[in-house]
Amino acid sequence: MDRTGLGKALACWAVFGIVMCLLPFVVTTGTLRVFIFANFLAMFAMSWDIISGRTGYISFGHPFLIGVAGYTTAMLTYHLDVPLFLSIPAAVLAAMVAGTLFFVPALRTRGTYFALVTLAFMELLYGLTQVVQPKITGGTRGLSGLPSVVSGAVPNYYLSFLVMFAIGIVLWLIVRTRIGTALSAIRMDEDAVKSTGLNTTKLKLFAFMVSAAVAGIAGALYVHYLGSIAPRGIFEINFLFTILVAALLGGPGTIIGPIIGAFFLTCLLEFLRPYIPGTERYLIYGLVALVLYYYAPKGLYGIITWVLERVGVIKPEGAKA
Amino acid sequence: MTALLELRNMTKKFGGLTAVNEMSFEVNEGETLGLIGPNGAGKTTIFNLIMNELKQNSGEILLQGKEISRLATHERVKRGIVRTYQVPRPFAEMTVASNIRVGMMPDDLVLMISEPPDTAKEREIGKAVGFGDRELAMYPSELSMGDLRRLELARNIAADPKLLLLDEVFAGLTVGEISQISDLLVEKKKQGLTYIIVSHDLRSLAPLVDRVVAMSFGEMIAEGSFDEVISDEGVQKAYLGH
Ligand SMILES: Nc1ncnc2c1ncn2[C@@H]1O[C@H](COP(=O)(O)OP(=O)(O)OP(=O)(O)O)[C@@H](O)[C@H]1O
Ligand SMILES: [Mg+2]
Repeated sequence: MDRTGLGKALACWAVFGIVMCLLPFVVTTGTLRVFIFANFLAMFAMSWDIISGRTGYISFGHPFLIGVAGYTTAMLTYHLDVPLFLSIPAAVLAAMVAGTLFFVPALRTRGTYFALVTLAFMELLYGLTQVVQPKITGGTRGLSGLPSVVSGAVPNYYLSFLVMFAIGIVLWLIVRTRIGTALSAIRMDEDAVKSTGLNTTKLKLFAFMVSAAVAGIAGALYVHYLGSIAPRGIFEINFLFTILVAALLGGPGTIIGPIIGAFFLTCLLEFLRPYIPGTERYLIYGLVALVLYYYAPKGLYGIITWVLERVGVIKPEGAKA
Repeated sequence: MTALLELRNMTKKFGGLTAVNEMSFEVNEGETLGLIGPNGAGKTTIFNLIMNELKQNSGEILLQGKEISRLATHERVKRGIVRTYQVPRPFAEMTVASNIRVGMMPDDLVLMISEPPDTAKEREIGKAVGFGDRELAMYPSELSMGDLRRLELARNIAADPKLLLLDEVFAGLTVGEISQISDLLVEKKKQGLTYIIVSHDLRSLAPLVDRVVAMSFGEMIAEGSFDEVISDEGVQKAYLGH
């Protein structure tokens, strides 16, 4: 993208940031807690989108990356009393190392097979955390009583929002450059990208590392926000689908899309809670996601830009965020 | 003088089918070579081998005298060889300008991030193949076959090649489109660009090539000037299928 849409896009980010910062003044603590989850989900969805929405390598294993980071910081703080300012970077690093594991199948395949291998990583870690040295990982029950970064709904809201916002902006700045164009081109025709002289292996590795780093930051903070970690909560298919659906719903291959998707999904889930208290809720949103994805493959982001184009607020092909 | 590109005894088998059999030929710097042969002769396969989109079973590929068989596709491109595809392969969800942008990109993550795209150069390359601002903003789905072939050419030229491999650049085009692309290739030849061109449209090919290699069933059957090759008995037979 060239400079034409820059001003407007920046204005959008600014408005979004200001509105979100004002929220604690107008909503209840309960609602704020919902938004904290939305912030985390947005980070997870953005992380997923950098690999899968951009390059087309569909990951079913993001909980693996999140789990590696979560367990790293949990074990370091729980057993060794490592301070958070060290354990969290260590967790991010561990997630990035884990991300290179994703990269091995990506060298040979994409599509279904790649998705399945990444899913296997998740299942493997699920098994490992339970059987290997339960003393260290906490086994099925996991570890609890982990230190928190900040306490109270409002500080946690600001922390999660600001990190999410910062990640969003950094990712947006990255994908606006030529690297974003190249990564999208890989999704469209990887061989053709090679035949323009680009080393797609290097490009994919970059995308995977960025994605893993984001998953690591978000995963580590999430665990310390919850104060606990257990295999059932993280290596769970519903968790994976929540991430996937948030990204797909919001608009894959965009940065703002996964954020919109995460908020929409979290709010929808909360809204449905009184009516359908059980896990059947997941069915409903799965259905909503299917319908939206079928009729609007570019997600909510696509619908919003379409509407804005119609009413003339933005020009077609304008500010892509 | 060493040839720009030389193939030595290249063989490619698909199971029991030998698509390319002991092919050897070369193209010199500044020279333009026509590669002709009936359907299934192995022309596209040769391009795939040169680009490492397929791996040869045996044989050598030399670029300026250096064996390049071990190099990955993108490394061969960086050394100056690019190709077009018989069936155009544009990046479908990108504008024409962005397609050209991908072609121009340096293979360097830091530069990709730190340097903004050179939109003036994109325009210039677009213009070289006949695209105006309107076309640059269009998506591949809105383009005619002729435009798609021009887009392939633009993306190739963007990589600043030494050697262009052109696969059926005239197929599916109107007479007007053919002469446009033909003019462009004449122009490029004048500028000293080397290319190998595959075409079934022999009439359009004639003015573009210094020399022709004809092949059939994976083997070379004739080599020489355009007139020599098409009046060759073996070539006539291969084309008429007797
Ligand atoms: N990937 C492949 N797998 C199996 N067989 C192949 C493959 N690619 C080409 N072939 C076969 O190899 C032979 C040569 O094919 P090739 O595409 O090189 O011919 P061509 O000269 O380009 O023909 P055309 O003029 O139709 O484009 C054909 O018999 C073809 O069916
Ligand atoms: Mg062919």
